[in-house]
Amino acid sequence: MLCHWTKMVKLSCVILFAVPILTGCWDRLEIEERAVVLGISIDLAEPGAEQEEDEVSHLRGSFPTPDEAMIRLAAQVALPGRIPLGPGEGGGGKEGPGQTVWVIDVVGHSVDDALMNLQQQISGKLFFGHLRVIVVSEAMAKRGLQNVNDYLKRNSEVRRMMWMMISKGNARKLMTASPKLERVPSLYLLSTLDDAVKLGKFPDDYVGMFWSNSSKKGQEGFLPYVEMMKEQNIDLLGMAYFKADKMVGATKPFEIAGYMGIKGLNPAGYRGVISLNGDSVMVVATHRQSKFDVRIVNGRPHFKIYVQTEINLEEKIKGQSLVVSEKIIKSIEEQNKKSLKKTYESLIKKTQQKGSDIFGFGEYLRAKKPRYWDREIGTKQRWQEAYKTIEVEVTVNTRIRRVGMKAK
Amino acid sequence: MENPRQITMIQAVAILISTIIGVGVLALPLFAVRAANSGAPLVTLLGILLGFVGLMIVTLLGMRFPNKTIIQYSEDILGRWLALLGNILIIAFFAVLTSLTAREFGEVVVTSVLKTTPVEVTVIVMLLLAAITTRNGITTFAYIHVFYMPILLVPVLLIVALSFKNSDVINLQPIWGNATGNMLPGILTIAALFQGSFILTVVIPAMRQPNKAMKASMLGMLIAGGLYITIVAATVSVFGSEEIKELLWPTLELAKATSLPANILERLDAAFLAVWVTAVFTTLFSSYFLTIHSMSKLFRLRDHRMFSFFLLAFVFIMAMLPQNIIQMYTIIQNFGRIGLGITIVYPGLLLVIAILRKKRGEPVRNQVKENAQ
Repeated sequence: MLCHWTKMVKLSCVILFAVPILTGCWDRLEIEERAVVLGISIDLAEPGAEQEEDEVSHLRGSFPTPDEAMIRLAAQVALPGRIPLGPGEGGGGKEGPGQTVWVIDVVGHSVDDALMNLQQQISGKLFFGHLRVIVVSEAMAKRGLQNVNDYLKRNSEVRRMMWMMISKGNARKLMTASPKLERVPSLYLLSTLDDAVKLGKFPDDYVGMFWSNSSKKGQEGFLPYVEMMKEQNIDLLGMAYFKADKMVGATKPFEIAGYMGIKGLNPAGYRGVISLNGDSVMVVATHRQSKFDVRIVNGRPHFKIYVQTEINLEEKIKGQSLVVSEKIIKSIEEQNKKSLKKTYESLIKKTQQKGSDIFGFGEYLRAKKPRYWDREIGTKQRWQEAYKTIEVEVTVNTRIRRVGMKAK
Repeated sequence: MENPRQITMIQAVAILISTIIGVGVLALPLFAVRAANSGAPLVTLLGILLGFVGLMIVTLLGMRFPNKTIIQYSEDILGRWLALLGNILIIAFFAVLTSLTAREFGEVVVTSVLKTTPVEVTVIVMLLLAAITTRNGITTFAYIHVFYMPILLVPVLLIVALSFKNSDVINLQPIWGNATGNMLPGILTIAALFQGSFILTVVIPAMRQPNKAMKASMLGMLIAGGLYITIVAATVSVFGSEEIKELLWPTLELAKATSLPANILERLDAAFLAVWVTAVFTTLFSSYFLTIHSMSKLFRLRDHRMFSFFLLAFVFIMAMLPQNIIQMYTIIQNFGRIGLGITIVYPGLLLVIAILRKKRGEPVRNQVKENAQ
């Protein structure tokens, strides 16, 4: 009998102890109490922004004010219940962004400072688990993204699969845009880029990849460079390339094809015009493959790149007499080779001038010639210098495979 | 009483695997990359080999004295008083290892998931769970490990397989690393992650056929070590070694960067953490069990249950001692390296002396009968 009683007491003790622990109440946060941030834009603040700022995370005299330039941060906060959950809830577009998200902008000395100023103004706890897009203005990117990257890497809610992009001009405009195709503006930005990747217009470049590439000693990162057009759609202007955390330049849109060609990235999606003594046709790349090779010549790295592209003929622009025959195909191929070689070489030159090795030649050198790397290079800064003077030799090979549904 | 020798070889393998795969998996690529940047998989391999040497010594000793644990046969080999010193060290070491495992678990959970939950609560819950479970006998112990093993292996392999599409072989070259200085501290740190395999000293006396222990330890080490190398190789090939140096828990970051096809789950870190809790539990369970089982043998008790809750307070207080996460990792690394003296050098010494003094335990009586079945 006694034994029975002690057992009962023991059991109830265990249950009493277990119940408060198992409920996990500390981190309970109802979904409507959260301010779900979908997108963030970061601009340099205009002069005089200090006047606008409250002393939330610093206090004159006791906690120092950071001496970095002020930033203006706009956050797109989802309105609970307004985000359409499926295609069944009517077509998008009519209502504009004011209906699904709430865009609030604040100033601050750093990302965290600005976000805390924002938190001071809104009720729900800011939640970054659904943050999909960050837009940074070109001016900000040229000053350096170290602070932005650091905040995002430290925050455990942020995903590595989100997109970061550089906007030509004001970044906040992209947050307030109301594109017609999606009801949630940041999702439109997101799908613009995701679809660009699928169509072969842009290489896969999530923020995690940008971070990894920027960290590597022999490589630099790049980000999509975008601009908002007058219909509130987004134009992909090229690649913004970086040197460490600072943006140093941007490419032309067609040079994205150049980059993808050199790296052998698929799917390929860019078109090019080929002109044959007066007649011209348009071709589309369908598949690319590339191979790097490095040798040390006279104590300097000498790279060879072999690019193989497959193209289809897509359009005849001019030249009634032009008949698509084997001979013509040969000469189109020859012409394409020359144009591609020029594109590749000029893109490499361009990045060399800025010392921004977005192709990862340095990484290739590090991997294949480790002794040379350890002896001569060794650090990121020295590679940035050395990259300016390396020799790169490009060999292109092109094959036309198909000509469409027309016989000649 | 039931037959005390019930554990089969497969169960022993399962115990080894789920004990070894534990809290260390998250920081493993960081340790490896710090030692040899792109040579991380090589460092891991060397660490595994060192860990395997330790396990092999323990297994050989266990097969020599198939009825006794290390606490008992060390007395036969060294004499009572000298062995007492070694035994106390072993017990203290695994008690501290238990508390550090629990604390590391707590820190990860508080940093990444349950941010407002006090770390004391996550630690005590885990320890309590382990303490309650250790009140079972060794047979149940084996069943629990066998039950959880597939849950440990499958998700990790899934994440690794899915991450391959983002990987780049260039990141893994050169395989011996760039400008690698002294790899030894890294190798020792990684070998220290295999210290859980010491649990075999408790398992062998309960094995149906102790002569199969060597096979079990080889198989267990092969699978657990293979998984470790796969994780390191996948993480390094996806992120590159320089990026990993900036990440506190690269394996968790890998789960974060990996999505299931067709965007069913866009980030796998939540799923991974859920699995990882199980992995931590089995590791904690083993080291806790090892500690109290050894204590009961030291005091010549027939049952280890009375120590289950007695130890809890000590382990919990020790877990709370590190002041911050940086200090905790310094302690873990230093402690792990020192611990290799207890889990590899000391058993090695025992084995040599046992061979020199020609000490040998009695063979298992029912072995012949078992084989005939």
